Amino acid sequence: MPDPDEIQRRIEAAIPGALAEVEDYTGGGDHFRATVTADAFAGLSRIEQHRLVYEVFGVEIGGAIHALALKTQTPSTAPTPSTS
Amino acid sequence: MSSQPEPLPMIGREPHAAPANGGEPVAVAPAAEQSNPIRDAIAEAINEHKVILFMKGTPEAPACGFSARTVAMLQSLDAPFAAVDVLPDPRIRQELSAISNWPTIPQLFVDGELLGGCDIVTEMYESGELAQALL
Repeated sequence: MPDPDEIQRRIEAAIPGALAEVEDYTGGGDHFRATVTADAFAGLSRIEQHRLVYEVFGVEIGGAIHALALKTQTPSTAPTPSTS
Repeated sequence: MSSQPEPLPMIGREPHAAPANGGEPVAVAPAAEQSNPIRDAIAEAINEHKVILFMKGTPEAPACGFSARTVAMLQSLDAPFAAVDVLPDPRIRQELSAISNWPTIPQLFVDGELLGGCDIVTEMYESGELAQALL
């Protein structure tokens, strides 16, 4: 069963420079919410940004990961500047 | 076990009395000869409806919170939309995701293009972009 830390690690490992905050918002280990900040999103539509994150998990989305609610942003659009 | 292709279950949803297509239910009968009738029927439905939502359950009885929220946003904007329940046959979801390259449900299409799932639709609703996109 995936946990928020694993999901965070996998997103950050797959998307260069990404910072992810992940929470399990039902506590059930299958509904997650992630905010991902990455330069890699620059110039991409929201759809394309979310696809980049979904692609990290492939068929696990809808399977072991029932839901992964996403908010994606670039460091320049993030409400609080990242530390990098 | 033989599995004959079944008609894609479709529900026409027209919140207002007589918009463009007269509120007729959406019915798609896939041609039995084609290699992938479900995918073809989905693609056709996407092209034929300005606004079409693929969801779990129906607008009257959504079967998932994300689908329910998306329906509520569309209804609050008084936007007529067609809706397809993906639950009756797992192949609907499978083929839909193959077409859209999007793994989750709901999926909202406007003018033949994937606008997004619940998260993106929510962001667009809050920013006013959804109302613009539905014009």
